[in-house]
Amino acid sequence: MSGPAGSVALTLRLALLSMISFGGFPSVLPDIRNYVVAANGWLTDREFANFFAIAQVLPGPNIILMMSVIGWRVGGIPTAIATALATFGPPCTMYYLAYRLWDRFRDAPWQRIARRGLVPVTIGMIIGGGTVMARAADTNWQSVIVTIIAAALVVRVRVNPLWVLVAAGTAGGLGLL
Amino acid sequence: MADEDRSRVERASLSALFVGFLKVALWSVGGGGGIVFARRLVVEQRRWIGDDEFADILSLCQFMPGPNMVGIAVCIGSRLRGPAGVFAGVAGFTVIPLTISFSFGTWLLRNTDLALLQGILSGVSAASAGLLIGTGLRLLTPQRDRPTALCFAALAFGGLVFTKLPLLAILLGLAPLSVTIAAMAGERTK
Repeated sequence: MSGPAGSVALTLRLALLSMISFGGFPSVLPDIRNYVVAANGWLTDREFANFFAIAQVLPGPNIILMMSVIGWRVGGIPTAIATALATFGPPCTMYYLAYRLWDRFRDAPWQRIARRGLVPVTIGMIIGGGTVMARAADTNWQSVIVTIIAAALVVRVRVNPLWVLVAAGTAGGLGLL
Repeated sequence: MADEDRSRVERASLSALFVGFLKVALWSVGGGGGIVFARRLVVEQRRWIGDDEFADILSLCQFMPGPNMVGIAVCIGSRLRGPAGVFAGVAGFTVIPLTISFSFGTWLLRNTDLALLQGILSGVSAASAGLLIGTGLRLLTPQRDRPTALCFAALAFGGLVFTKLPLLAILLGLAPLSVTIAAMAGERTK
């Protein structure tokens, strides 16, 4: 598939995946790779990995950025805009409706109980998610130290995390990590 | 309480939401960083909501599909200013950051040495993992007197780090149990 038909198919595919990506968008990344690399040959594996890396180092919502770069590769700027919208548009509507519903019953006793139960699980998953990321990112002792310092700074000091990222990125760019 | 709520809403202008989430997006480099900066903006700097309500919104977003960070902009926008707030937050979070990063990114892909990029990425991702861990620990502070809460946080952590189970499976496995125990504990304290 190529040309406009390919752009439309990719956009619809992303709109669908974004609505079923329970647990976060990374859960459907393998499916997207299969679709754009293996099934349609729009990108090489190398390009897919590079787009991922680019989206990680640049500011902004990185998954949406990655999808728009894939769209750009498939059908230029119009497809880039369409794929970006497909990635966050449908979930935004779902977030809004779910939040309205949740907010309406804010003071209901069942919700206070649900909150007491859910919040600890969420927090555990955030710390766990950070640890999983650290395991992938920390390939040597220097980068382990960077991770520990960054965590300690957030817990102990109200430093702007941006400076931590800039310092670590500079060290990495200079080949120190 | 009602007065306090109103004054919060007055302080959150649409432009403050737009600019706030614009900054969150521009600063959240390296994945997962969004939570770090969103908490800093809405809890520490603007004090629009407290840590407890922020954790609450995170829980809701984690259950929903899609890029979770946009969900935070949707919920906080809706909480502070209704539908207009949603548009302000989401537009701030997406339009300008995506335009800048898309232009720069496609330029980089054509012109740069990817080894340098990989080097920068390795530093940024090591640090952003640490920032995420630290933010999680900060969010855990209000829960520290509740042994069952700490226990379920530890189980969720362990499930994610030590098993190969998908996120959603862990969530669906632990959440009902955790809520049931919270309900039973609530009965006892009454």
